[in-house]
Amino acid sequence: MKRTLLLIFLPFFVFAFLSYVVFLKACDYAMSNHPEKPLPFNHKSHGEYLKKLGAGDCEYCHGFYANGRFKGIPDIATCKSCHNGSTAAEKAMFKNYRDTDRPWGSYAKQADLVYFSHIAVLKNTKEARCTSCHGDKKNSMTTAKTGRIMGRMPMGRCMDCHTALRISNTCLVCHD
Amino acid sequence: MMTVRWGMSIDLDKCTGCGACQVACMQENNMPIFEEDSDIPKRVTFLDLMKVTNDYERGKNYGEVQVAFVPKMCMQCSGNDPQNPHPPCVSVCPVVATDVGEDGVVSQIWSRCIGCRYCQAACPYEARVFNWWKPRYESDFKKGLNPDVSVASRGTVVKCTFCSHIWKRERDKAIAQGEKDINKVTYTPACVSACPTGAIVFGDLNNPNSPVYETRLKNDPRAVRMVHSIDHQPEDERQRRLRIKEFPNPKVYYLSSQKWLRDIISGFQNS
Repeated sequence: MKRTLLLIFLPFFVFAFLSYVVFLKACDYAMSNHPEKPLPFNHKSHGEYLKKLGAGDCEYCHGFYANGRFKGIPDIATCKSCHNGSTAAEKAMFKNYRDTDRPWGSYAKQADLVYFSHIAVLKNTKEARCTSCHGDKKNSMTTAKTGRIMGRMPMGRCMDCHTALRISNTCLVCHD
Repeated sequence: MMTVRWGMSIDLDKCTGCGACQVACMQENNMPIFEEDSDIPKRVTFLDLMKVTNDYERGKNYGEVQVAFVPKMCMQCSGNDPQNPHPPCVSVCPVVATDVGEDGVVSQIWSRCIGCRYCQAACPYEARVFNWWKPRYESDFKKGLNPDVSVASRGTVVKCTFCSHIWKRERDKAIAQGEKDINKVTYTPACVSACPTGAIVFGDLNNPNSPVYETRLKNDPRAVRMVHSIDHQPEDERQRRLRIKEFPNPKVYYLSSQKWLRDIISGFQNS
């Protein structure tokens, strides 16, 4: 009897598992474009060097504009503020790479209706840091995907934190 | 916790009917231009510029006929109790695509909407419109789209949200400048900044220094709200009416010195 029941429900289990896998893959595919970067960037060594100089956390490169917009991927001028182009690799990099080159896509592309404000979350709370969504990017040696976000940012995580901190949870806070 | 309640007042004596507010609204909110936009029942627009006249019976003589233009957007109703907002459209939505924010702005999330159009039926002001067609843009129009606003797909209900994405933008700017108090953030919706004569004024209804302080507007003999029968009534009559019926209690005030226009807007002769 038990075996019959198992056989009857087996297709459902298989179907549920497969759809779960397909859903995850589809989310990754749809929301994270170009996870592999054209440049093997070492976050760890840059972070340690910047810390030695006294420059802050991630904000030296991934900072904000004067109007509060998140900069995202830094431009080539940010690299040039430290690298003067003396070595051959730097020369080739500055010669060939332009800011308008497309391949630096973002790790987590938000849906069109989401207005996620990095500055509002980071400046007003101590709970949410870069690592809580982007994983341990600070100590990564390559530009491959790491950890948490993996292209997914479920609304429940935002809402849980908003509820815990007694911040308004109505739709227009984040959506438009 | 937000204490501001955004509201608007429109001075119809200053309004020239130029339509800049409507154009700015369409541009700001990524509204496509449909071929059928001249068809009024199926028109997709957040802000409707209505032409009204005192001569609907065609009985006026030459020189007596008067015409005015009334910009009509979502009135952001708050219900009988502004502390606990209860707009007519929110309770009927089966998928919670619309709710009221702490600042009193009624939201509408298009991607959550299933297009049942209950809210459109519940709205006393016909401020909600249904997107009948797939949004299509002319060749280069798409490059000029506003990145802060998502494009509403076919088969959803859309409406004005007092340009709340501009509030988010201004909030980010205030945080970058070191402002901690969210109530100090001010902004200007697109229609207000586009108005060449300054007829549309936007601000905080709770703030006595604001140009749209609600207590002052309520006592203003020129002020009138659209299709609303409890304004300019004696206090006991007002309380009696509030008990027997749920009123939308809109947050957009119209100012006019002409009585015929106030009668048309309020929908009641004695208001």
